[in-house]
Formats: sequence, structure tokens, C-alpha cells
Amino acid sequence: MFLHYLDLSWRSFKRTPVVSVLMVFAVAVGIGITMTSLSVYHMMSMDPIPEKSDKLFHLQLQTMEGEQTRRGSPDGLPYQMTYQDAVALSNAPIPARKVPSMKAGFSVHMNTPEVKPFIETARMTNRDFFDMFNLSFVHGGPWTLEQQDNATPVVVINEEINNRLFGGANSVGNMIYLDNRSYLVVGVMKQWKLNIKFYDVNNGAFHDAEQLFLPFSLIAPFEIDTWGNTNGWKSEETNTFQQKMRSEDLWIQFWAELNNEQEEREYGEFLMSYMQEQQKSGRFDRDQLEYALRDVLETMDYRGVVSEDNRILVGLSFMFLAVCLANILGLLLAKFLRRAPEVGVRRALGASKTQVFYQHLVEVSLLGLMGGIVGIGISQLGLWGVRLTQDYYTELATMDITMLIAAPAIAITSCVIAGLYPAWLVCGTTPATYLKTQ
Amino acid sequence: MLSMQNISKMYQTEMVQTHALKDFNLEVDEGEFIAVTGPSGSGKTTFLNIAGMLEPFTGGTYSLDGVDVGSLSDNARADLRNQKIGFIFQGFNLIPDLNLYENVEVPLRYRGIKSAERKRRIESCLEQVGLASRAKHLPQQLSGGQQQRVAIARALAGEPRFLLADEPTGNLDSLMARQVMELLEQINRDGATIIMVTHDPELARRAPRNVQIVDGQMADITLYQRNGVEPMQKIAGA
Amino acid sequence: MSELKPIFNALLRSKAGALMLLFQIAITTAIVSNAAFIIYDRMTYLNKETGYPEEELFYFRVTSFEENADYNQQIELDEALLRNIPGVINAANFTAVPLTGSGSSSSFSVVPEPEEGRSANAAYSMSDHNAIETLGVKLIAGRDFTEEDVVFAQNYDKLPTVAIVSKAWAEELFPDEDALGKVFYVRNAPAKIIGIVEQMTAPWPSSNVAEKVVIFPLINGTARQKFIVRAHAGERAAIMRQIEDLMLQENNQRVITSLQGLDEAKAEYNASDTLMLRMLVVLIVVLVSVTALGIFGLTLFNISKRTKQIGTRRAIGARKSDIIRYFLLENTMVCLAGLVLGCIGAILVAHQLMAHYSLPALDYAYVVGTALFVLLISLLAVIVPARRAANISPSIATRSI
Repeated sequence: MFLHYLDLSWRSFKRTPVVSVLMVFAVAVGIGITMTSLSVYHMMSMDPIPEKSDKLFHLQLQTMEGEQTRRGSPDGLPYQMTYQDAVALSNAPIPARKVPSMKAGFSVHMNTPEVKPFIETARMTNRDFFDMFNLSFVHGGPWTLEQQDNATPVVVINEEINNRLFGGANSVGNMIYLDNRSYLVVGVMKQWKLNIKFYDVNNGAFHDAEQLFLPFSLIAPFEIDTWGNTNGWKSEETNTFQQKMRSEDLWIQFWAELNNEQEEREYGEFLMSYMQEQQKSGRFDRDQLEYALRDVLETMDYRGVVSEDNRILVGLSFMFLAVCLANILGLLLAKFLRRAPEVGVRRALGASKTQVFYQHLVEVSLLGLMGGIVGIGISQLGLWGVRLTQDYYTELATMDITMLIAAPAIAITSCVIAGLYPAWLVCGTTPATYLKTQ
Repeated sequence: MLSMQNISKMYQTEMVQTHALKDFNLEVDEGEFIAVTGPSGSGKTTFLNIAGMLEPFTGGTYSLDGVDVGSLSDNARADLRNQKIGFIFQGFNLIPDLNLYENVEVPLRYRGIKSAERKRRIESCLEQVGLASRAKHLPQQLSGGQQQRVAIARALAGEPRFLLADEPTGNLDSLMARQVMELLEQINRDGATIIMVTHDPELARRAPRNVQIVDGQMADITLYQRNGVEPMQKIAGA
Repeated sequence: MSELKPIFNALLRSKAGALMLLFQIAITTAIVSNAAFIIYDRMTYLNKETGYPEEELFYFRVTSFEENADYNQQIELDEALLRNIPGVINAANFTAVPLTGSGSSSSFSVVPEPEEGRSANAAYSMSDHNAIETLGVKLIAGRDFTEEDVVFAQNYDKLPTVAIVSKAWAEELFPDEDALGKVFYVRNAPAKIIGIVEQMTAPWPSSNVAEKVVIFPLINGTARQKFIVRAHAGERAAIMRQIEDLMLQENNQRVITSLQGLDEAKAEYNASDTLMLRMLVVLIVVLVSVTALGIFGLTLFNISKRTKQIGTRRAIGARKSDIIRYFLLENTMVCLAGLVLGCIGAILVAHQLMAHYSLPALDYAYVVGTALFVLLISLLAVIVPARRAANISPSIATRSI
């Protein structure tokens, strides 16, 4: 029966080709525009680490004194942390895994004329970073605790750098030069592909991950300054790097892995006691001690990773889809009602109301399917246009499988919704009315 | 008042030319009631369309009330239709979205008649066809006979001198057909010239003058005498 | 127009189709007026003058890995090298490059710390006496830096005592008085305003310090440097191509990156705004086309549904123009109702957008303009099928089905 209805639908499509094409076009354009903005939205808001996004927490401490709050921050808390707090908290007994980290950058070279030096960004962090963020290795592994504690110049490079410097061979044990120092390669990391640089959105949420990873403990001896943001609020001398490390300047990110609510609670209590302890030495000079622990998705929301513009566009796109549906509804109404005499004959020949209704729903579903498929094409065109606008949209302006399935699904669903009333109207006609008069 | 000389109408398709009317001649005087008969496909409807200026003709001359129709613009033909001709269709052709009052009003609006005058005429016409009490009804709420009576009221509202009826009883049962026929006869007695196309010989016989069309040409004219009244006398009296 | 009543009655009796059209026109109006307003807002922003001759300027970064380098001396050498390139007007070292999204900002006060007084935020950059000519900005009061003004420091052990500021910032810090010659404080270090520039844009053109810029004559060399070069517009591309080789020839213990024209940097900074603009333009164009096609299709259908009726109307005396007018009036009635709803919708949407996002208040002129535009488009969409309707032969009336 379904095939028969499909056949009838196709005939009906061909009988009024202009209007049918118009309807498919309306669905396709509606879906195309909606899916374009929805795809970007989807990629921007997608959980970047679904396995443990609810276990990784970004920590913020309110270090600003008195009544001061960070301008632009939704809750007034600074986005980053001081160096001294980051070091103290990473040496704390709980939780089991927590890492300070900071974006840096180096001139990478081999100290030979063959390789032209190039600039790469690096992340200064602790060895737990790799486990916490589920990173895997092609060769070697993270540096040892001992290397970390002794501030040994070691580096983990990713595949891309390994290909560039070592032609893809196992480079563990080799030396590379970062600025004017040599570092021992201890691990080659599998390329970290991520759409959202969720662990540090301070310089843009859609940048690539860093290519080099080095022990956080190297910051102090080598005076490695941040390539990210430094925010100061306190009037103090920070002209030398040693002064900066001791200052209230905010330039470090801090992540903790908390596996359950109990750990969250315990860590919260610990943080309060840490701040109270610090108050004794004159820091955290404020009435209300504050900290914030946000998991990955909360952090993304808090930092407004999905741009305002994108939200507006998604909203407008759905309104646009509604217009297309109203359009189709109007046309379907006209098309179906015009067919009422034919339906009258069918009904007289014994078709039940349900059958007539079902037949028309199959017809609108077919429209939806065609519109959805053409719509995917239109949204690919739209996404291509988006990618042309800016480099960093290259990864974001794509349709993943979810979106590819969603497109026809949304198209069919919306067409069926638009078709319900016309179908109901046409199957509600009494056969007699149309058989008697013209 | 209506004069057709050597009227012909040719339909051209890719392959063949068809003559729907060929050298058709007809003179109709004021106040006549003519029944046009003929077999299916003989050109009855084409004749009616040309008489009502619904369709252009391909040859000959046609003048209505002394006006040469062939030379008129589309707008002038529309105005002439509006002022002089009333139509009654087999399928009634009432506008389903409009109620009876509004349906009868349509030709009057096109003529630009003032609202008060329109109201007077519509009410009187609906009165005449016996449907004044149903003015607010929609066509589909009426029976076929009633609908045709509304259509007649619409045709009469413009006070046309000339009524063209296309199988006016074709979709009606015999009782209703008789009622409609009596209404037409009454209208004719009141002074309007009527041309009625019909395939029903019974109905045709009631008309004083019959015109038969066969293969696009006038085949035969029979003058019937009805109720002792000579058609010619009727004209003289008008 | 007494003609309207029966058309209106007829519409009421076939309401679903008319309702859909109305709904469609309402949403279209609501979306288009808001989108058009956002487009206008972004266009104004994107077309805003920066005060710089962007197509004459380019910048690049130098990252040095030389051990024990004398950065300050290297800067002098590099600047001299750049200035010697034929076609270069001037070049200077800067700590922050305008329009690139990367720089520093701070709050400066009219009194030294810890006193509390009026203060104003500004984007600041350190450069030397070549800064103003290199940037190509217009000094409207005071004087340019001289070589004597420039302070050479290490780890900021010495600070400059003068500054050139943008007019917008000068007016914020010193409202109602002439800022020239006034002193402001960087924490507790005083700096005198010796020059005021008509217009200068910060590294962040969309921020609240967009036009508030302060330049200090200070060279405090570090491993990471930025240079801005101003060249004759036609020669810029050729000069940019030789920069890397030239700089590495001078000293190869460093890496040259981010070589980019300031117009390109600005385009990159504004990419998301440009994208939004384009998306909205596409949205409006497509939306209006879909609505127009919808009206077109629906009228076409209505006409084919009413073929007999139109023939009958023609038979009983309607002129072609009567038929066209009928459809135009019918459409206009639906359209007007839709527009009224749409205008209300537009204002509601605008309120929502304003409540949740950083958008300015909708200018109602956009609503009115959009409404008129949609009306015009809808009339155009009807006119073609309506003319087709007018050409329906009146002889349809006598044809039996």
C-alpha cells in the first residue's frame, strides 16, 4: 500500500510540476538556510570530550580585593589564575589529578641550517594533562614525574611536528631546539584534532590545539612568559618576570578532574580553606571568598563559545523555516482541495478516511524528503560560503553525520506538520458533495 | 437587433482545421424567444459564445443593436455584455464564495451602479425568482433549481435587453426545468429578447422560433405558434 | 471602496489559505526589518574610518631566539633597514598593532596612585619618534615626538614622560577642557599630552576603547617585536615579499611571522561581522523570494481554482482590469493584515534580541520601510498571475466540465 501511495504521490507531483517544484524549492531553501546556521551552531556547541566532559572542571578563584570584580565576566570572577595559586594548588593533596597550564610559544629549529626556524605555540603543563584530556601517544609517552619535578628540558611533540622535523620516524630520544635551548623529545602525541579549544578559550575558542607540550615547572627557571592573556588588577611592580610570578597577575588556566559530587564538595571545602589560609598573608582581602568550578560544557556556556551572532542566525533561520512551511501549507491546501472531487470518487469507491489521510501524508513526506535532500545541497553551498569568509570556520562550517541525518528528518517532520491540516481537510470531504455538482 | 452575416469560426490545431460555424446567418428581432437546437458538437455553444461576445469569430459580420461587434476592443465588448446581455449557464456558474445577494450584485458592480440602486434591483430580482428570503445563503446551500433561479436573477439584475441561455435546464429535473422555463417565458413577455440553446426538443417546442444548427450551419427554422400568439404581433406590441 | 466588502467576505470563507499567506507575510516582515537593521548596524561599523591609510600599511612580527641579544639596538638596526627599502615612507617598532585584535589596554588617571580621580581606559602602544608618520594619522594639536622624547629601557626601568593620544580619549579624560599639555598618570608615573591625533583605532575596533589610543615614546626591547611599515600603496605588495629575506639576512637568529597588510588584518578581525552580514543578506534575499514565490504560487492556484468563476465574471461584463484589480485587492487586503501583524512581530523580535543580545534598539523606520517593500513585492508577485487570470476567455463560462 505504501508503494502505491508513493506512486500516487509521484503522479500528483508530476501533474502540477510548477507548484510541486515550488514546494520542494521552498522546503529545500528553508532547510538549506536552517541547516547552514544550525551546523555551525552544532559544531560550536558540540561536547568536545563527551567521555568525561562532566568530570573535568575549570577552576576560578576570586583573587581581586575589596569590591573589585573582573569587568565583562558574567559572575565577576577572573577567568585565569595567578602563577602562585596555580603552583600551590597543583602541589595540593587533592584531587588526584589537576593541572595548571599556560599557552607559550617558541621558535622551533634543529640548530642546523637545513631546517628553517618556525614559530609554534606550546602548552606548559603537568604530565597529568595527557591523561585528563584523553590524549594518546604514537611514540613514547608523557615526561616522568621526576623530570617534571626537576624541571628537565623535555618536550612532547605532536605528529605534525614529528613529520616536519623527523619525517614521521620515532623521534623519542632526539633533541629539538626551542628558542635557544635544546629539549629532549620524550613522546610523540597523536594529532589532537578539536573543534573547540575548550581547555583555553582566552584567545579564541576555535584555534587549534598547541603543537608542543612542556613541563609547567620550566616556566620559572627559563622565564617562559605567556603567549596568551595577562590580566592585572592590582597596582604592583611587574616589570621583571620574577615580579610577575609573585604578583596577582592572572595568566594561568587550571583544570581539575573530579569524579563525583563528593569529590567536588571536598575540593570546594579545600579551596575555601586554602583561600582562608592565604588571607592570613594578606591575599584574598575581601568579605566574601569565592571560587567557581565549571565542567566543560558549563565553561563553554559561561565563556560564550557560541557567538551571539550565531544564536541570532539560528533563531532567524527557524523563523525562516516557519515561513517556508506556511508557504507550503498554503500551496498544499490549494493543491489538495482542488483534488477534492477526485478524493470524492476514491471515497465513493471505498477508500476510508484513514487511507485518504495516509495517502496525503505519504505525499507530503515525499515532498519533505526531496526538499531535505536538495536542502543538504543548499546548506553545503552555504557552508562553503561560510568557510570562504574565515579560516577558522573551516572545521566548524561542516556537516557531520548527525546534521546530515537531521536535514531530511527536519524536512519531513516539518512537511508532515504543514501537511496535517490540508490532509485532514481533504479526507474530511463528504464524497457526495463532489460527485453531484462540479 | 442581432444580425449575423456569414459568420464563421475556425479552430486551428496543429494538424487540422475545424469549422465550428460556417457562413452562419441569423437575424433576431427585438422581443423574440428563440430556441437553438442541434446535435452535440454541431456548433450550438460556439454560436452562443459568439452571440454573447465571449469568443471572437474568424469571419463575417455581427452587429448587436447596430454596433459592429467585430471592431470592438475587449473592454468595449465587456461593457456591451455588461449592459445589454444577461447570461444563464447550464452549470449556473454562481460564485461559490459569495452569497446570493453578492452574486446578483456582481454585474451591477461592474456597471458602476450606486449602492442604493443596486440594493433595489437585487431585491426586486431575487423577489422575482422567489428567493428574496435567502439572500444571505451561499450557493451550495441551495438546490439546483434554486441556484439556476439565482443565476437568472443575476442575469436580470442588469436589466438586459438580451438574454442568452445555455441549456438552462440541463442540470435540472423536469419539475424544476418547467419552473425555470416558465420564468424565462415570463421574462420574455416582460420585453427581453431570449436566445436559448437546448438539446431538448420538448423545451425547444415551447419557444416561438426554433433554429437548428447542423455542422456549423443553420439548417432549418421553424416558427411555432404558441398559445395563439403570433411572434410578429408580440414584436409589434413591444 | 465598496468593492472591498465582497472580496473580504470571499476571503473569510476560504480562510486557511489566506491565513497562511498572512502568517508568511507577517514573519517575513518581522525577520526582514530586524535583519535589515542588523545589516545596517554592521555596515556602519565595517565602513567606519580607522584614521589609518590601511592599504599603505603592513606589519609583521619578529621572534628572536638569539642569546644575550641587545634587543634595543636590534630594533634601531631593523628600523633603519626598513626605512631604506625604496618605496617605504617610514617604519617603526610598536608593541601593539592596530586592527589586529592583539594589544594591551589599561586605565589611566588624572591623579597619581593611590589617589582616586577621573580615569579613562585606552589601548596603548609603545613606539618611537617615527610612530605618527608611520601610522599616517593626522595630528590636530600639539607636536610630534622628537628623538629626544624617546626613552630606551630594559624591563621598563625607565619610563617616558610624554604621550600622543587620540582625540576621543583626550576628550574622555579631560572633558570640557583642552587636553593638550595636561598630565595623566600611568599608575604613579606622569605623562604629558604633547600631541592629539584626530582619529586612531585600537587593536580592537569593536571594543569600547575602539577610538581611545595612547602612544608612548618608549623602546623596551624583548624577544618578540612587531614592526609597522608604511609604503606607497602600489609598492606595498612587492615590499612585503622581500621583508622576510631582508630581516633574516640582517639576523637569522629569529623568525618572521604574521606578515600582513593592515586592511587584511582588519578584514580578518571583522570576519565574523562580515559573515553575519553576508548570511543576513542571503537570508533576506531568499526569504523575500520565497515569500514572493509563495504568493505567486498561491495566486496561480486560486486562479486555476476559480477559472470558471473568472470566465463567468468576464461573461457578465467584467473588464480585464476588473479581474486584475480583484486579485490585487484581495492580495493587498491579506498583505496589509499580515504587515500589521508583522510590524508588531518585528518590534517584539527586536525587544527579545535587545534583551538577550548586545544589539541597539530597532529603528522603526526599518519596520515601515520593510512593510512597504514587502507590500510592493507582494503586488509584483500577484500581477503576473492576475494578468494571466484576466486573459481567461469568458467562453469558459459556457463550457461544461
